Amino acid sequence: MKARRILLASHGTPGAKAAEAAAFGLCEPGGRIRHLVVVPDFWKGMLGDDWLNNAAVHVRFGRYVEGQLEREIVAHAETVAAEAKRRGLDYDCELKFGKPADCLVAVARHGEFDLVVIGSPRPKGVEGLRSRMDPETLAKGLTVPLLTVPHPGRDGGRRKDME
Amino acid sequence: MVYTRKNPALLIIGVIMLVYWLAVSTGMLDGLLKVLKTTGSKPEMIQLSLIFGVVGVVIGLWQWFGSHTEGELDYYSSAIAGGMFILLVAMLVRWYLDPLVRLASTAIGPVIPGKRYIHGVFGLNYIVLGIVAGMIIVNVFKIPDWAQNGVRISRLGLKTGVILLGTLYSLGELVQLGKLSVVLIGFFVLGSVGLVLWMGSRRHISNSMGGVLSAGVGVCGVSAAVAAAPVVQAKSEEIAYTIGTILVFGVICMFLFPVIGHLLGMGYIQFGAWAGTGILNSAQVAGAALAFQPRGIETLKVAEIFNITRVLFLPIIVLWLAVWYVRREAAAGVTVQQVDTSRVIFEKFPLFVLGFILMFALSSTGIFAPAQHYQGRYFDNSKSKLLEEKDLNTLKAESGKLQRDDEKQALARLLESKKTQSINHDTTLRGIVNSGVLSKDANTVLTKAHNAVYHTAKKISAFRKWLAWLFAFGLTGLGMQITMAAMRQAGGQPLVIGGVVGTAKAVFSLIVVLLFVRETI
Repeated sequence: MKARRILLASHGTPGAKAAEAAAFGLCEPGGRIRHLVVVPDFWKGMLGDDWLNNAAVHVRFGRYVEGQLEREIVAHAETVAAEAKRRGLDYDCELKFGKPADCLVAVARHGEFDLVVIGSPRPKGVEGLRSRMDPETLAKGLTVPLLTVPHPGRDGGRRKDME
Repeated sequence: MVYTRKNPALLIIGVIMLVYWLAVSTGMLDGLLKVLKTTGSKPEMIQLSLIFGVVGVVIGLWQWFGSHTEGELDYYSSAIAGGMFILLVAMLVRWYLDPLVRLASTAIGPVIPGKRYIHGVFGLNYIVLGIVAGMIIVNVFKIPDWAQNGVRISRLGLKTGVILLGTLYSLGELVQLGKLSVVLIGFFVLGSVGLVLWMGSRRHISNSMGGVLSAGVGVCGVSAAVAAAPVVQAKSEEIAYTIGTILVFGVICMFLFPVIGHLLGMGYIQFGAWAGTGILNSAQVAGAALAFQPRGIETLKVAEIFNITRVLFLPIIVLWLAVWYVRREAAAGVTVQQVDTSRVIFEKFPLFVLGFILMFALSSTGIFAPAQHYQGRYFDNSKSKLLEEKDLNTLKAESGKLQRDDEKQALARLLESKKTQSINHDTTLRGIVNSGVLSKDANTVLTKAHNAVYHTAKKISAFRKWLAWLFAFGLTGLGMQITMAAMRQAGGQPLVIGGVVGTAKAVFSLIVVLLFVRETI
């Protein structure tokens, strides 16, 4: 199976990296990959119930977290872009803030894609952030085929390379 | 950007409060209040719903129909609707949900010996129910857009509450509690920070993760993690793990600590010291203290001194972690920015503690309680001040339960003179009540003897009422900021290390408090 226009949702975790590898493997030569990175909305609640700090500390924390997320996303996008360039694929990256599934559905609806590729949640016992992708929202909202790539930690990583 | 929403929400809240004021003041709700056993709160209901109802209607009309332009006034006005929303929820919880839970729990009957009901054991009072209501609202229904800005001012309620609390301490209490808290907090803060760093190095976590986690677990939870994260340059994943872990721990501790405290028969001072030391997150310290003792503030007074001590440790620990981080990274060959120590201290210093000290100083001058208010109470031997024969018999029947000599002597003196003789005598007798050694009936008699000689000045009494509302308002609002999405991020090494160190801190501080902290100060 090959696709010309792929929407890839990934954020640098092992599961997402497996999705990146699959997307590169499935993209036709000269094809296009749109890389979607979603900053989940749980970050809005990350000040939690802090009541002791003053506004200056909150502002500093907010700016720091925003800057840190940006640095991590830029570094990740540069890696994916370099791989796309090496393979001669057209690449662009889009950043969204919100619920990952909602953002993915919105981007998929507004662009012309043949395939959407995502990683799967980490298996139990494998370290990593909890997946925020809601499969039901994707199933109901997507109008293009969706490929969910197995996590490399699942089944001893037998299917870690789709190429 | 204009923050004030042209929205009828605030007006509606104001109208609801005014309708409630009308219903209560005309006696329409008397039957319901009698069933709920809240008739005593009627004056408070009338006063608060009238004042805030008028505020809501007037400002609500202006917000809905007026024109708003960018500026300071717009910014502060945008917070009013959210603040009133929190207040409305806190009123509903305090006047209706709390009494309903109490009625249901009493109908079920005592669940453990000593006639303790479910609501007493689990501390299901207006404070805990307010936090839970806040959490349900944010996680199930979501905070409405018009209330988003105002929800944050719940912090102002808590800080004002702590400042006002400063009026209720005597110098002796402050010195004794201060010394105790510095020793306990000093030991457990430094111990848990050190333990996290040690476990972190054994489990090969990064310096930045060790730094942010040790601040959160060691000092005062989310507040410390927020203060330390930029200083130790924590990665986003490390921040999410740490804050998620601390929030989960904080919520669990808030429910668990009062249950354990009641089961172990802890007194107010013991519980306040334990909650102030063992609960990771400072917001839940006040919640647990008020859950343990909903109808009084003795536990809260102790717990907040411990909280303030923790907060005062915060700039020092953050500075220490900053220097530690820079050195560790430099040793590993990584270039990092040097720490501006004066900025760290200045920025992290909790200014509201100065307000607390100011109120304590003002209170010490007698401005809130004139000297003549207390004059001659202990020397008044009129019959109304003396205990009756049946009261004395109740105490005599239980005098054998006391173990400590000072308490035995104090009780014997009370039985002989039929009244409390001095401030020290009263303090020792209060200690007996707080220790929970005697039955409820005997404690009622001791409280009667206390009330005969001790009267709170009008202003101090008013402060106590305001305090209850400020903490209810603040903690309900903080509940609205605890999201399941943030808590679900708990995981990774922070969950393992934070779990081990947090549990060790709670258990060892409990042992230390039970062994070394006495119920009188």
